[in-house]
Amino acid sequence: MKKVLLLALVLVMALCASAYAKDVVIAFSQIGQESDWRTANTDDLRHAIEGHEGWKLVYDDGQQKQENQIKALRNFITQNVDYILFTGVVSTGWDEVLKEVNEAEIPLLLIDRIPDCADKIDYVAAFGGDFVEEGRRQVAWAGEYLKSIGKGDTDVNVVIMEGTTGASAQTGRTEGNLKALKEYPHLKLVGQQSGNFTRAEGQAVMESWLKSIDKIDVLIAQNDDMALGAIDAIKAAGKVPGKDIIIVGCDSVKAAFDSIVAGEMNCTVECTPLYGKFVVPTIEALIKGEKFSKTVVHPEEGVFDMNGGIDLGTVKSIKAADVIATRQY
Amino acid sequence: MAKKNFVLSGLMQSKVTWAVIAELLILMVCFMIRPDFFSISYQPSTGMLYGSLIDIINRSAEITIISMGMTLVIALGGTDLSVGALVAVAGAIALKFLRWDVLTYTTPGDYTVCPYILVLTIPLIVCALMGLFNGFLVAKGGIQPIIATLILMVCGRGVAQILTDGKQFTTGYSPFRIIGQGSFLYLPMPIIITIVVVIAVALFTRKTAFGAFVESVGVNPSASRLSGIKADKIILIVFLITGLLSGIAGLIYSSRIMSNDSNNAGLNFEMDAILAVVIGGTNMSGGKFSLAGTVVGSLIIRTIVTFVYYFGIVAEATMAFKALIIAVVIILQSEPVRKYFAKRSRVREAVLISGGER
Repeated sequence: MKKVLLLALVLVMALCASAYAKDVVIAFSQIGQESDWRTANTDDLRHAIEGHEGWKLVYDDGQQKQENQIKALRNFITQNVDYILFTGVVSTGWDEVLKEVNEAEIPLLLIDRIPDCADKIDYVAAFGGDFVEEGRRQVAWAGEYLKSIGKGDTDVNVVIMEGTTGASAQTGRTEGNLKALKEYPHLKLVGQQSGNFTRAEGQAVMESWLKSIDKIDVLIAQNDDMALGAIDAIKAAGKVPGKDIIIVGCDSVKAAFDSIVAGEMNCTVECTPLYGKFVVPTIEALIKGEKFSKTVVHPEEGVFDMNGGIDLGTVKSIKAADVIATRQY
Repeated sequence: MAKKNFVLSGLMQSKVTWAVIAELLILMVCFMIRPDFFSISYQPSTGMLYGSLIDIINRSAEITIISMGMTLVIALGGTDLSVGALVAVAGAIALKFLRWDVLTYTTPGDYTVCPYILVLTIPLIVCALMGLFNGFLVAKGGIQPIIATLILMVCGRGVAQILTDGKQFTTGYSPFRIIGQGSFLYLPMPIIITIVVVIAVALFTRKTAFGAFVESVGVNPSASRLSGIKADKIILIVFLITGLLSGIAGLIYSSRIMSNDSNNAGLNFEMDAILAVVIGGTNMSGGKFSLAGTVVGSLIIRTIVTFVYYFGIVAEATMAFKALIIAVVIILQSEPVRKYFAKRSRVREAVLISGGER
């Protein structure tokens, strides 16, 4: 019996090996399904890799637990995959397992959330959002927009609704927000609070602000969900969102586009989950033997608003209504 | 005179009194910083009263409703950890019935795919059944409540995710909006629902023998059984009620944001509900319970949150600030502190009596 089992095992392994020999196996350790953004991220990479001829994807959903992701990475090493795509649920604690990946000499591609230990490990390429730039764009849009409607010299009150305290998107965007505020002295910061990236808390925080702060002119929300929640609170206070209070969101999810087209939100700064178009050519080039630098490549992202045409230095805003039909998430 | 002071000393020993005092103190601080904290005005565009106090009561609705059930569970000597997950389940089911399939019904609009009555009843029925499942594990399986309810706490959100394919559905169906954002008698609808729930639970437990049965089972299940109380049945009913109430809270939560949020809806609600019950003076080891105290406890928790938002405590310090206030409240309610104050009022009483005799 044992022998039969052993034989079967050898056969299966041989089959696997022969299958692997044909295809380039790309393993992907994903965080889990936490939001629409994340779903779009997974779907995009999946379609890009599975749709590529001669490529095979081994996908692992970490269910938002670090231990699951570590297990998955070790499995990838045992399976001896050709490439590993990785985004970590938290920023620390990956040193050991990623060193194991290095020792197994499997090329590692970091996407989206770059771990803190990135400078201590080897990787072939890295793609991630530029949170500081996103934060800068949010404030810069508000400043430039006010100039465009002739209010560049009047003092306006700005509130910043932050994301989950300590999340890389929150720290980065806050840094960008505060830096940009210095460039627009007429924008006065009158409130800063965490809305935890959720609609419900965005609503509750805005509700309190509307009572405690006498005049709010601009809301900078570090994601669209909080902005959408705040819109409900603004309506409940008898004010008109998008007119009485200028609302700038971040992420550019579909619901935000709907809201901008409906005139209730003014602007959303994109944070794209669509990495497929970067990852596929990179792997193609790696197969050919090309090398990439270790600097994190930021995807090109847009800024979408009601009318378009606001110049932010690095990028010009696009009218949301023109592109809403092409949005994938 | 003596009798009045006796009442006072009794009041000083009651945990509920201290909860009320704590709440009033926090509100006083709010008032001192911003006198207009208490201002309430009429908002014609929504037809509702508008003010921070209204916000506090409105936003505490979910926790108050859940903690009505939690009070009974704790009076039985248990805890229900699954309530937060059930909030997510209720929201997911409601949105599932409103949208059914986001690929077919691509834009969230003022429509519902299934009859509205199903949108409201199915989540409540499912949550009640999940509560019953908890009760079954506890009563028939003899599993400790904290372990039994851990099952649904962990897998509940998974169920919610599966129901909605891990997506966040949004809706614009106006009758659904009424639950969380509508108004009745100038008050936000969640307040009305909370009042109805609190009265219903209070009547059910205090006007029937049910409350006494719960306390009796909480103190000593075997003695209660011997005296003819069907402990199993009591446990089943209590967990069923808690499940149902979590479902109601879930509908309010998802109606407020007009979408389901399987990851964040009801997150940590079990902890807030337990805290509300404990601040309200119900002992974690079971027995006597106070629904009024729980309501005050829930209001205290929300007042702290509103305080943080209103006065702009920096985001990083929020958690520490909340913990600090709660620690002070709990210490105020602790046995030695209450005894100290009760003793002082007894001494005063004695002095007054002897003074009267002279």
